[in-house]
Amino acid sequence: MKIAKWVGGLAVAAVAVLGLPGCGEEQQVVVYKQGRYQGKPDTRPWDSPQWGGEQAKWERAIETRTLNQNEYSRTQ
Amino acid sequence: MLLTRKSSAGVVPQSRLARSLSGALARTMDRRAFLKRSGVVAGAGAFASQLPFNLIGKAEAQQKQTAESKVEVKRTVCTHCSVGCAVDAVVENGVWVRQEPVFDSPLNLGSHCAKGASVREHGMTEHSHRLKYPMKLVNGKYQRLTWDQALDEISKKMLKIREESGPDALFIVGSSKHSNEQSELLCKWVRLWGSNNTDHQARICHSTTVAGVANTWGYGAMTNSYNDEQNSKCILFFGSNAAEAHPVSMLHTLHAKELGAKVIVVDPRFTRTAAKADMYFRSRSGSDVAFLWGMLYHIFKNGWEDKEYINARVYGMDKVKEEVMKWTPDVVKDVTGLSEQEVRTVAEAMAKNRPSTIVWAMGQTQHTNGNAIVRASCILQLALGNVGVAGGGTNIYRGHDNVQGATDVGPNPDSLPGYYGLAEGSFKHWCRVWNVDFEWLKGRFAPGMMGKPGTTVSRWIDGVLEKNDLIDQDSNIRAMFFWGHAPNSQTRGLEMKMAMDKLDLLVVVDPYPSATAAMAAMPKAADAKYDPNPNRDVYLLPAATQFETEGSATASNRSVQWREKVIEPLFESRSDHAIMYAFAQKLGFADQFLGKKDGKQLLRLIKTAKGYEEPSIEDVLAKEINAGSWTIGYTGQSPERLQAHMRNMHVFDVKTLRARGGKDAKTGYDLTGDYFGLPWPCYGNAALKHPGSPNLYDTSKHVMDGGGNFRANFGVERDGVSLLAADGSASKGADLPFGYPEFDHVLLKKLGWWEELTEDERKEAEGKNWKTDLSGGIQRVVLKNHGCHPFGNAKARAVVWNFPDAVPLHREPLYSPRPDLVAKFPTHDDVKVLWRLPTLFKSVQDKNVADKVAEKFPLILTSGRLVEYEGGGDETRSNPWLAELQQDNYVEINPKAAADRGIRNNEYVWVKTPTGARLKVKAKVTEGVGPDTVFVPFHFAGWWQGVDMLPYYPEGAAPIVRGEAVNTATTYGYDRVTLMQETKTTLCQVERA
Amino acid sequence: MARMKFICDAERCIECNGCVTACKNVNDVPWGVNRRRVVTINDGQPGEKSISVACMHCSDAPCMAVCPVDCFYRTSEGVVLHDKDLCIGCGYCFYACPFGAPQFPQAGAFGLRGKMDKCTFCAGGPEKDNSAEEYRKYGANRLSQGKLPACAEMCSTKALLGGDGDVIADIYRQRVLTRGKGSEVWGWGTAYGKPGQQQPAAQPKS
Repeated sequence: MKIAKWVGGLAVAAVAVLGLPGCGEEQQVVVYKQGRYQGKPDTRPWDSPQWGGEQAKWERAIETRTLNQNEYSRTQ
Repeated sequence: MLLTRKSSAGVVPQSRLARSLSGALARTMDRRAFLKRSGVVAGAGAFASQLPFNLIGKAEAQQKQTAESKVEVKRTVCTHCSVGCAVDAVVENGVWVRQEPVFDSPLNLGSHCAKGASVREHGMTEHSHRLKYPMKLVNGKYQRLTWDQALDEISKKMLKIREESGPDALFIVGSSKHSNEQSELLCKWVRLWGSNNTDHQARICHSTTVAGVANTWGYGAMTNSYNDEQNSKCILFFGSNAAEAHPVSMLHTLHAKELGAKVIVVDPRFTRTAAKADMYFRSRSGSDVAFLWGMLYHIFKNGWEDKEYINARVYGMDKVKEEVMKWTPDVVKDVTGLSEQEVRTVAEAMAKNRPSTIVWAMGQTQHTNGNAIVRASCILQLALGNVGVAGGGTNIYRGHDNVQGATDVGPNPDSLPGYYGLAEGSFKHWCRVWNVDFEWLKGRFAPGMMGKPGTTVSRWIDGVLEKNDLIDQDSNIRAMFFWGHAPNSQTRGLEMKMAMDKLDLLVVVDPYPSATAAMAAMPKAADAKYDPNPNRDVYLLPAATQFETEGSATASNRSVQWREKVIEPLFESRSDHAIMYAFAQKLGFADQFLGKKDGKQLLRLIKTAKGYEEPSIEDVLAKEINAGSWTIGYTGQSPERLQAHMRNMHVFDVKTLRARGGKDAKTGYDLTGDYFGLPWPCYGNAALKHPGSPNLYDTSKHVMDGGGNFRANFGVERDGVSLLAADGSASKGADLPFGYPEFDHVLLKKLGWWEELTEDERKEAEGKNWKTDLSGGIQRVVLKNHGCHPFGNAKARAVVWNFPDAVPLHREPLYSPRPDLVAKFPTHDDVKVLWRLPTLFKSVQDKNVADKVAEKFPLILTSGRLVEYEGGGDETRSNPWLAELQQDNYVEINPKAAADRGIRNNEYVWVKTPTGARLKVKAKVTEGVGPDTVFVPFHFAGWWQGVDMLPYYPEGAAPIVRGEAVNTATTYGYDRVTLMQETKTTLCQVERA
Repeated sequence: MARMKFICDAERCIECNGCVTACKNVNDVPWGVNRRRVVTINDGQPGEKSISVACMHCSDAPCMAVCPVDCFYRTSEGVVLHDKDLCIGCGYCFYACPFGAPQFPQAGAFGLRGKMDKCTFCAGGPEKDNSAEEYRKYGANRLSQGKLPACAEMCSTKALLGGDGDVIADIYRQRVLTRGKGSEVWGWGTAYGKPGQQQPAAQPKS
């Protein structure tokens, strides 16, 4: 009985000792997990009176405007 | 380790999702806990970075514009180079808040370089380095004074000097950054004062081009355009670093390259333009004619020239050929450093890929034989039949934003507006236009001086310092106005400092104090052996920028663009024309300045918001420039047409610059057929609706379609050979399909066309020619009714007999590294009087050889441009966005030359020249220059031989970045025809500091 | 869905710094902070090439991955933005970014870092669109006005293209096809081999 208690105590101690390095029972190898944005909310570009919330309208405007960077459309 | 988040208002995310899942991240946390907790939300994190709908707050209503906030968009043009990039300036309640690209512009299509992208800074008042109010130099420091005080004191002194020494004791350096109207007003203003002593930046930029090219075929301007390069099959950059000096032009060049054009760069430096070239060859600075003749040698030898074209349209090519054939490959190699293979490759590329074009800027112009070099380029293109052809021509890249316009109508020492010259007939013509009494004007000049060209900005210092009996005017120059011009872009800085110290009056009119202010305030050097003038007065007057006034400017391709006024003049600055008028009032010619005579006033006077008055800019354009500049066709570009163009840029084709259609919504003006900006010549009055001339001398088009031919300006015949164009050679649809002289009333009567003029036109045109007929009738009838060119139809001259070298010759620079070549190709003889001053050539060159200057100063010193800065640089170096990009002046030195001198990259060195001056600059060790050449940018000023000139600038108005001005140390040397300075080739030595 | 991208055509970039200055201008970027810079290799020698570099708004942005306070987010158009109010100026994003996009205004003798600043694709930041607060912190929000980044719109030779990825890819492709070269600077030849060459064999996973 006494031995069992001692073994039990040793086991507890062992567990305690062995368990010590991983305080909090955490794995030592950190597995990276993608964070989440913690900042202020932002609106979408088309959420303004100019576009009336219409995404397609804004996208069309952007695509048309991008073509200004191509001089080929003006030289042919 | 604790990570504490800096506290700031309202940072915690608001969404319920975030809060519940992450348990509301505490304000401080342990890193492990942080990682642990973020692990908990791993599942939800899949879309954390993709569609963070937890971030989507409600879109709130846009802040309504207050009733008082007024937003306007003003269309203007960048003021930094001759490409002419349009800018839309957004102005809110009178403050320039934003600039937007103008994609519609056919010239720049919205593009800008660093300078164009920075122009909004001109409207910023906080931390501005502008000259804010009038100032006077008192005991070595600039003190503020009022406009009234300044105008009063200056004009009193001017009148006193005039009384003592005559009107020619004043020299006015005008500006290539003035608008056309301001330039023309200044030209008039100086003549009303009574002198021809005026000049501007064109002298030191393209004066040799204008003289050489105009004497070759009629007009001395860019024949084609930047846009037209899209039609070229081969583009040779010889004397141009367009990637840094004309960056947006590279849009057209690189587009052409993409379409298959070959781009070749021949330059002493491997420039950024060379980096984009298909082929680059390194030539020696100053050996330009040798290279061009070397090319022509191969062209003639292989029969690649366009014989038909030469027979029909060129005079004197055979004489040129005699000279060219002397330039065999071995001689060319000795002089230029280029091998036979290299020269032949370029010649073949230009010959076999036509239409081909040649581009040049200061590389060709800034030499003692600059007038010959540019002519050699013209002759090359004539030989190849490239002139008057889309994709060909001589694409001369002008510098400042309105140097073309200022050259055309502005303050030139040898001409009234429009290149009319200084003959009595010219003055009479302009007096009619200006509504000024000719006899009164004649009386303003010193006797015999009215028809004599003034001296030049490149030599004003000799006007001050030279012995009085050697100069061709009564008195030395005693008073100087630097009206929109920097001093550090001219050579011989040490002597310039001396000249500044000797003046009685020095006035700077500029938006910035400019290096002049600092140079003038700087005490004389301890070892300098001269006595400064104790009676000298120095004033600084704040001028408004081109964004603070309206006006037109002519781009390099001769298109005229109209600038709207963006903001009111900042601080106490006033527009240049307001300042001119204020002085005119004090100096006693206010009436003549406004054209007030016989109950008529030509120019309206406008009261500005700040209370002072200025002449109407639109009136200057319409009633002076349009009314009088018949020679170069500045008559059709009325304010209405130009403004309609600026409002409707999108209708102009980018390749041809022509409007395919379009009607201006505001005025109903029909734009169809116009070329953008009505590139001059735009003959006749606005009613004739000439479309402008995109490519000069183009016989494939009708003259009313922008076509043309070479000018008959040099006589009808020479040595038995006709100078007129051959039979069959004329512009399309000309009623006279052969060569003919310029038109006057006599010729019209002979041809029976005189009756086609209206009665009013006949009244005015009687006794006149196409240049002096103020009704425009002669031009109208000749152009519209008969498809002929008012200036005649002649051959281009390969031989210019009125020049010192009728056939262009190679001549070594005055400071040549090769005494053996000096012996073979010496410079000109000294000239007793050239532009009123004794000018040395041979004696300087011979002395250099005798003194073995090339051994003591073995490196060729050349200078040039940087993309971030413009001209003298004080304006652009005061802009923090630009200044940050180039903070130190430097010298480009080859690794071998650096190693030979123990110089490390980025350490300070002294650049020393034969003048005795030395420049402290950083060393940039690069293979961009050859082992025999070094390069220093010329835009810096504000250091004087190692000493910072900051204390000498007015308080708060010094540029952010200051550095040595390379021209403090540059040497004597001037073009034989125009007194262009030889800045591209001198000698120096470089040592570790 | 529009996906915003930049590409700088090295065959056209002439190092004019128009893009750098345009950005400074429209965003009022102070001295010392360089959202965009031009990088030149082989300066002064044949083979000299320049490209304009700023934040590339990566799909899998390293800056976002390493930020300890998670102040970054990506909009639905692919623009990577961040919240300056959260930023602690630790500089980890600067270490992580292969383009050197994060900029830190420095102060003091020890170069104390302020808030990180970087190219926003002219899309402002997490403040009300086009408000004074947004302009003060992040610069212009051109995107919400239907405009594109000023750097790309003002590029002197239209080397720097910025906008919807599909559209600028078409523009770039047209140029490369017209001139027959230019894309190899991006490693096309390395990845896909030269025409006529055998494709490099795929390496087996170890």
